[in-house]
Amino acid sequence: MPVITQIADAVVATLNAATLSLPVTATRAYLPRADVADLKTLKVTVVPSSVVNASASRSQSQQDIAIDVAIQKKPGNEQNASFDPLLALAEEIGELFRAKRLTTFPLAACIKTEFKTIYAPEHIENLRTFTSVLTLTFRVIT
Amino acid sequence: MPNLLAQGAAWLEQQRTKHLTTTVTYVRNDVQIAVPATIGRTKYEAEDGQVVRIEFTDRDFLVLAADLVLNGQVTEPDRGDLIREGPREFEVLDWRYSDPYRNTLRINTKHVGAVET
Repeated sequence: MPVITQIADAVVATLNAATLSLPVTATRAYLPRADVADLKTLKVTVVPSSVVNASASRSQSQQDIAIDVAIQKKPGNEQNASFDPLLALAEEIGELFRAKRLTTFPLAACIKTEFKTIYAPEHIENLRTFTSVLTLTFRVIT
Repeated sequence: MPNLLAQGAAWLEQQRTKHLTTTVTYVRNDVQIAVPATIGRTKYEAEDGQVVRIEFTDRDFLVLAADLVLNGQVTEPDRGDLIREGPREFEVLDWRYSDPYRNTLRINTKHVGAVET
């Protein structure tokens, strides 16, 4: 199995084992696709995003592997009180991984967490749906 | 002198309502009413974000402005209202008048799932 999918699976396992402010059941997908009708319940999708290869030393290689975590839900209304917990969850997920190694793939250390889309205003405007995408970058040296 | 175009438009809207409508349920919070509506457009679309893809069914309902009476008052649609057509539920996102004489509302909605019982 490619390293990036092993890391994505380890991210899924970490998320599903964690105790977060909202219950999360994460899944891995190549094409994260959702029907707006299915987003009444929270959807967390883990997507392999990119790999950058470099030399760490004469004998070691370094891979920086980016994994996207998409957090989506259609709240009942557009009040701040409905969106705040979702944004808080996104932040929590970032904290969960920041500067840590993955339990089920300890070769990978999280070196960066970045909100690719802290939230997508166009999804709120056009679909009344919250979407946040967090990019986790893991470094693997072998 | 009467405005013949306005009278003609009103007559056409009456005919549309009489012959080209199905009854839907318009819902705002705890208030719901049955209104005749014409399905104006149904389109399946997908929106590509940077990472995620969200698919949805876009649907317009044409309703006589005078028929949208909530709590005894003629009212305008509001974002977040619901329209139930049989077992399916649509959420109101936007609306506008569909004719220059403001006889008919074109209510833009998106399918949000089955009616919860």
